[in-house]
Amino acid sequence: MSVSTRSVGAALADVVGSSRISDRPEVLRAAALDDRVPRWVVRPASGEQVAAVLALAAEAGLAVAPRGSGAARDFGGPPERLDVVLDTLDLVRILEYKPDDLTVSVEAGLTAGALAASLNPRRQQLPMDPPGWAGRTLGGLVATNAHGPLRARYGTFRDLLLGVRFVQADGLLTWGGARVVKSVSGYDVPKLMVGALGTLGILVELTVRLHPMPDREGTWLITLPSAAAAQAVIALVLDSALEPMRLELLNAPALQACSAPSASVAVAISIGSVERAVREQGARLEELARRAGGRATALGEDFWDRYDRAFTTAEGEVVLQIGVLPSLIAQTLEAITAGQTDLRSGATPMVTGCAARGSIRVVLTGADVEDAAAFVTHLRAAIHGFDGSVVVQAGPRELRTALDPWGPVEPAAFELMRRLREEFDPRRVLNPGRFVGGL
Amino acid sequence: MPLKPAFVQELRAIVGAEGLVMSPEGRMVYECDMHTYYKGTPDLVVLPTRTEQVVEVVRRCREHQVPVVPRGAGTGLIGGAMAPRGGVMVGLNRMNAVLEIDLPNRCATVQPGLINSWLTRAVAERGYFFAPDPSSQMVASIGGNVATNAGGAHCLKYGITTNHVLGLEIVTGAGELVRLGGKVADRPGYDLTGAVVGSEGTFGLVTAITVRLLHAPEAVKTVLASFASLVDASHAVSDIIAAGIIPAALEMLDAVIIRAINAGVAPVYPAGAAAVLLIELDGPGAEVDRQSERCAGLCRERGALEVRVARDEAERALLWKGRKEAAGAVGRVTSSYLLQDAVVPRSKLPDIMQEMQTIAARHGVLIANVFHAGDGNLHPLICYDERKPEEVERAGLANEELLQACIALGGSITGEHGIGVDKAKNLPLQFAEADLNFMYRLRRVFDPHGIMNPDKLLPSHPACGEGFRPLRPSLPPGAWI
Repeated sequence: MSVSTRSVGAALADVVGSSRISDRPEVLRAAALDDRVPRWVVRPASGEQVAAVLALAAEAGLAVAPRGSGAARDFGGPPERLDVVLDTLDLVRILEYKPDDLTVSVEAGLTAGALAASLNPRRQQLPMDPPGWAGRTLGGLVATNAHGPLRARYGTFRDLLLGVRFVQADGLLTWGGARVVKSVSGYDVPKLMVGALGTLGILVELTVRLHPMPDREGTWLITLPSAAAAQAVIALVLDSALEPMRLELLNAPALQACSAPSASVAVAISIGSVERAVREQGARLEELARRAGGRATALGEDFWDRYDRAFTTAEGEVVLQIGVLPSLIAQTLEAITAGQTDLRSGATPMVTGCAARGSIRVVLTGADVEDAAAFVTHLRAAIHGFDGSVVVQAGPRELRTALDPWGPVEPAAFELMRRLREEFDPRRVLNPGRFVGGL
Repeated sequence: MPLKPAFVQELRAIVGAEGLVMSPEGRMVYECDMHTYYKGTPDLVVLPTRTEQVVEVVRRCREHQVPVVPRGAGTGLIGGAMAPRGGVMVGLNRMNAVLEIDLPNRCATVQPGLINSWLTRAVAERGYFFAPDPSSQMVASIGGNVATNAGGAHCLKYGITTNHVLGLEIVTGAGELVRLGGKVADRPGYDLTGAVVGSEGTFGLVTAITVRLLHAPEAVKTVLASFASLVDASHAVSDIIAAGIIPAALEMLDAVIIRAINAGVAPVYPAGAAAVLLIELDGPGAEVDRQSERCAGLCRERGALEVRVARDEAERALLWKGRKEAAGAVGRVTSSYLLQDAVVPRSKLPDIMQEMQTIAARHGVLIANVFHAGDGNLHPLICYDERKPEEVERAGLANEELLQACIALGGSITGEHGIGVDKAKNLPLQFAEADLNFMYRLRRVFDPHGIMNPDKLLPSHPACGEGFRPLRPSLPPGAWI
């Protein structure tokens, strides 16, 4: 390449057009990740432009952070470097919706809410409902492996993502997977992109599996006297022929946050099916609740909206994602309660989570950094013993520097992850420092 | 190239003389899988009984740069478990233990050689089952299911193997023992478990697998609908999916298959029908009742000749017996066939069925169909007589045209059988250079020395060992510095 006096910024502007790049201080400050302020914010209009931006970035040794809605901006470790924030909010086209195949291909910057609006008239859904889902981009949801209560029946993006187009760190536009619901052609590349935080490529297009909406839905809240009773009712439901859509655990502060009947702990269960099956399963739920020493009451349709609003977190709140064996939910709840008593700031953790998969989410509001760090350390010590994990999904930078937000990864597996990252992004262009082990 | 005696001695020290197959007649058994067209005899077969032995075998092979070919039950259909370059085949059948059944957490950990249906048998009494159900499930190993990411009739509702694998233990091509994923969800880091499932033994040898177990549904109903044409039946399939019903299974059989099964297995299906749909619904009783009625209604609206619901378990079992034994029954119709596994978007079934009839006529070949209609996964059997080279050639041409037609409709070259040596050459139909490049490099991460299952899954490339690099987007001229 010939020597040129033109700056990288001008070259970026050539690629995306001058209206799609900004270096205005207020724009840059607003796009900062932790204390790293980028030099440019670019907003490509197409996957090809994303590719061209990354080709330039790789050549110039820049660090690039993809950004969707910005909801996960403090997910993972603080960035090691940051030059370009690549905004995907203009990648919003629905490329191909095939209702009769139950698949849709979209650009990655489309929000889940906008997609839902297009699917609703056909009574179809992408069953993906982490708190705040409607305003988040699909690319961001995939990259952070977000999931909500519907996980109990429909799984995570690992089960829903069929195909993916992404740009590798050096600007190569790449496709993996398929646009049909069943394919084992080539390696299962989409799986690698789920939860990878963009470190193996920036997502520009997704093909996902859709599900029909059930004819009817009913939700019941089973209030329970103790963690042990919650464990018992969860076991009874899972060891039955009931097919819940959601099987969500809520502790007392979480119940209060979504204006639900109060109890020391509860399980919210929704059933989706034809009308008679919903009614019959509901009756059986009531009986199972009694057997576990609890009480089931039917909830209004708006419960899950209230849930969504209550747990959509604001900046600065601490969110922990805990993975444990489903059979150890009671112990985990007890560990959380034990850790809570040490919180000097008196903060009360709100606990929710998919009981069917042992996937628990803790929101901690109003705890100072030292307190929150001690709480995480306590939980990790308690949960490590049963092979679980505690990931700090959101929280102030000071917390995520005081401790490793990801927690330990088994060394042999980590070595493979490190090699994978090194193979595909040796210059560390994509989100350097934010993924597990500082990858 | 024969193996060096010193190397063979090292392997014998690892697995013992009883764990080696050296004689030519003994090795011949391992020359192919169920795709008998592709043959390649390994120089040696080792039959380990423990994970540590697998680690040691791979390490020795790596040091000596000898190819390693994994093999389960040998029931694959893609030439995956054969040794095109000789080398060491690792047969995992002796590692067939159930290591743990953990019903409170609805999972089990098994060794790769365990037969698929044995796992369900071990938990059925307690009301659970292992969902992936390839037709070969009575003999296929779970390790093989993981390698190919196997499907089956009921994966329409329940998903394929990968949706049921929680964790793995793998000996990579570098000879490292790595534990990936596990019983607990949401482990931090890349989903390497997901990458290994379906990698056809090109990343390493899987030595333990943790799988989900599902609770058996409350009710099951099987509906049979017969049609006067394949295209009518295909429309009925699309109607059912479009109505928001996802049956547990939705299978189609055509006239050739119906005749073969009625003559060879039992008079199961309506004689004279051009197509039969088997629609199975499972779940809560009230849901199954309602949805089976709706499916029956949709079939009638598409002009079904006959629609009936199996009255009891015996009739249901008979309907499925015909389907599961279809491949064997075809022996009455043809001596040999090419089995395809391509996929089309399910709304395109009527189109591909029409196209298939045109292709069959153009090449003068008989094509029989028995397949997973609900997810658009075709299994045309292209019949030929192997004594007539000209017929073999026509079958081959029809096969290639059909693959291309499926891709043109937006489909995939394989839905559940995998790539192996059989379809590696077809992968570029579906993937561009950049896409394949990503896969070559991914393979190298797990198998840096290139010893694992050579010639499988990816097409050979002049520089594949190095991971060739297609052009990146061009930078603006004279951009900087």
